[in-house]
Amino acid sequence: MSPWAAAVGHELRSAGRERLPQLLLMIFIGMSAASAFIGSAAKATVTEVYNSAAGQGLTNAANPFGNVPPLYYARNTVIYILLIGALLAIVIGVQSAMRDRRARTIDLVLTRLLSPAGYLGAKMTGIGLGLLAVLGASALISVVCISAVTGSIPAPDQLLRLLALFGVAWLFLLFFVALGTLSGLHASSYTTALLVPIVIWSVIIFVLPLLGTAAHPVSLLNPVTPPAAPLTGIFALTGSLTGPLSLGEQFKHVAAILLKDPQATGTMTGGITVILAFLAAGISAVVLTGRTSMRKELHD
Amino acid sequence: MTDMAIETSALAKTYGSKQALEALSLEVPRGEIFGLLGHNGAGKTTTVNILTTLLPASSGTARIAGHDVTTGADRVRRSIGYLPENVHFYDNLTLTENLTFFARLSGVPDPAARIAAALEAVDFTGHGQEKMSSFSKGMRQRAGIAQAILHEPAVLFLDEPTSGLDPQGVAKLREIIISLNQSLGMTVFMNTHLLAEVTKTCTSIGILSSGRLIYQNSVAATLGAFPDQASLEDIYLHIEAGTPS
Amino acid sequence: MTSLITLCGKELRDLSRNRSVRLLILFLAVVVVLSVLVAAADFRTKTADYTSYLAALKASGGAVNAPPPDLFPLQMLRAGMEYLEIVGSLFAVILGYGLIAKEKNNGTLELLFTRPLARHSFAAGKILAALIIWTAVTAALFAVITAALLIAGNAPLTGTDFIRLIIAAGHTIIYLTLWSLAALALAALTRAPATGLVLALVLWLVVVLVIPQIGDTMDPDNQIPGGLFASLQIDKAHEHAVMANFTGYETSRDLIEQASLTKQYERPLFAWLGIKDQYNQQSPAFVWAGTFNHTLWLLAGFAAAAAAALLAGTRDKLLRKA
Repeated sequence: MSPWAAAVGHELRSAGRERLPQLLLMIFIGMSAASAFIGSAAKATVTEVYNSAAGQGLTNAANPFGNVPPLYYARNTVIYILLIGALLAIVIGVQSAMRDRRARTIDLVLTRLLSPAGYLGAKMTGIGLGLLAVLGASALISVVCISAVTGSIPAPDQLLRLLALFGVAWLFLLFFVALGTLSGLHASSYTTALLVPIVIWSVIIFVLPLLGTAAHPVSLLNPVTPPAAPLTGIFALTGSLTGPLSLGEQFKHVAAILLKDPQATGTMTGGITVILAFLAAGISAVVLTGRTSMRKELHD
Repeated sequence: MTDMAIETSALAKTYGSKQALEALSLEVPRGEIFGLLGHNGAGKTTTVNILTTLLPASSGTARIAGHDVTTGADRVRRSIGYLPENVHFYDNLTLTENLTFFARLSGVPDPAARIAAALEAVDFTGHGQEKMSSFSKGMRQRAGIAQAILHEPAVLFLDEPTSGLDPQGVAKLREIIISLNQSLGMTVFMNTHLLAEVTKTCTSIGILSSGRLIYQNSVAATLGAFPDQASLEDIYLHIEAGTPS
Repeated sequence: MTSLITLCGKELRDLSRNRSVRLLILFLAVVVVLSVLVAAADFRTKTADYTSYLAALKASGGAVNAPPPDLFPLQMLRAGMEYLEIVGSLFAVILGYGLIAKEKNNGTLELLFTRPLARHSFAAGKILAALIIWTAVTAALFAVITAALLIAGNAPLTGTDFIRLIIAAGHTIIYLTLWSLAALALAALTRAPATGLVLALVLWLVVVLVIPQIGDTMDPDNQIPGGLFASLQIDKAHEHAVMANFTGYETSRDLIEQASLTKQYERPLFAWLGIKDQYNQQSPAFVWAGTFNHTLWLLAGFAAAAAAALLAGTRDKLLRKA
């Protein structure tokens, strides 16, 4: 086994044995499973509310939920990827980088045959593979739950779209792994290592969209696509500046198109480009971390 | 008032199935500088932790300056000073702020006067306004002793006090310990590995091996009892090997 | 009592010099103020849109029947309050964890516990320090918010508005301190404080984001952009009449939301600030009658967190090794 493969295997084994990411993972998978049932309860109620309103002659509009596609039930999963998935990715990244620094094993690693870039690349590969397995399991659970709710297995086209969603989620979450790893490599203490990427996450998810569109933070947790940004006045400027940086909103937009949300318009190209650009920047920054930074002493 | 600064009787500590300390019965008279020796994992730190009320014993009794560590823990805490092996402070505070804080927690009515005296005792006057983050290991050790003697305790516990110090630091610390013992009459209980240091500093020793006290005597009597051994280190290895002459 | 005050004083001095804490609080202030500025800009944009719409209507000879956008200054605080709800509580968790972690990681616990401290002095000192810190931070944040409203928002505030702001600040102090104390208790109870931090973060995630998100998603009116009833062109009075037939579903949804202390904070907060339409411009007695049960739940949560912190922050729990 090459040193690189050994490092990948070691990363997978070590990450798999840590209880804390396991806890977040359980919540993530549990919520992905619950997502379809929450969607089903909401849909049933909306239809009943509509029937009641129409029965009383209060509306003659068509039922907006008259013909909901099966992929509708995966909408909440997108939000859980944004919230729980991203935090899980950050914790995994931080723990991975901190493991060597806390155990003071980095000198033992760096005196072996692997370069710092090779070792960090192997770590990212290991985590990436682990994350792929987690998302694969989540995708499978989503399919099972959607089938249970709708009474039939989604069509091949829909299955492909669902798989594509989890594929994009993998790229999206890998950026947060890189962010966590980077912070874990450079921070002077465990608290700072965890704190910095979580603050960055909160800025990306809650602050940038507000600056660009005046959207309220809590409304961003609703899977329904918000109305188009009011591109007038100051927001025309701030929206164009913060829009591409609002990674969370870009992911939600790509996900909405993949899940055939009737309100979603435009293409996925911009969103996917942003996600890939963030990922490339994150992984490059991790891999380019020097020997001196990796050996920096921890203060807690 | 008892003449013993430290008395333990059948003191034992178990962690799960591991016996860290086994029936330790020990007497250290007032005014001694007592060195507790033993290999890594022998139970030295466990002993200090129990005697300083940081850890409850599984069985047995221990008294410090006449106070039981279990039933009179608060009185024990007023009677002891403690320097852990790796002493740390609040790095954002200055030395004086750290010492004021610990003095107040020990119920010292006029911290400023005691801090000045403690810093003088450890030959550290003039560093009070410096932030702890700028201190070297040797400076921290001296600051650690200062915090331990602020309230003029009867017994001073030092856990591996010379660990990580350079030769100058070791010599300085020895000078401080002996001075505290002789001028203030403090009983000193120290855990250490450095046997050459024990010969120069301690008046009596005990040897712990796998949680049991296998030897206790004055340093002078010990050196005299093993004329065929060249140093205290040789005597220690000899006793540890289980072949006392 | 003396040692409690000494401990609390040390904590305050230490925290006030901690660069990370200062940065976090500054960050919180910046995002909250930004949110007020954004709300003010949003209002101006809407007013400008309305004015140009009015001019276009007049030019084409049409009659004006659309009312101008209403300005309720305290409603501009919505996003800022949501930041305190989400980001503020996150920082409170980190601060609470730090109160224990630094003592455990520094090894200063041994120095503290070889002193004659009363059983609960250590924890009580920390609890008092957390309460004082969050009172000071919240007071400063609300002062800055009010200044932003008055200056940037050009908002006329009345005497009642100030009382409403003070009540909102009171709720915020309780909410943020509650999170710090919960994290403190978890960091004290776990052998490695980092484990306590991640547990506290999981708790935060579930209480602040996941439970409210489930409740929000189950709201039929949140299923369509702009609102279900708006898209069906049903007014508020008829909306209530229709929803009266779904009390069972609404009760379960409400119970799910109420399981989150964040909602117990948000509901009175939004009511006092008039962010929730049904309480906007209503008398304090009306707001109190509608929300006092949430305030009491919030206080109960605070009391539970304080009790947990007091019981967890003792010598035997903090120093245990096996």
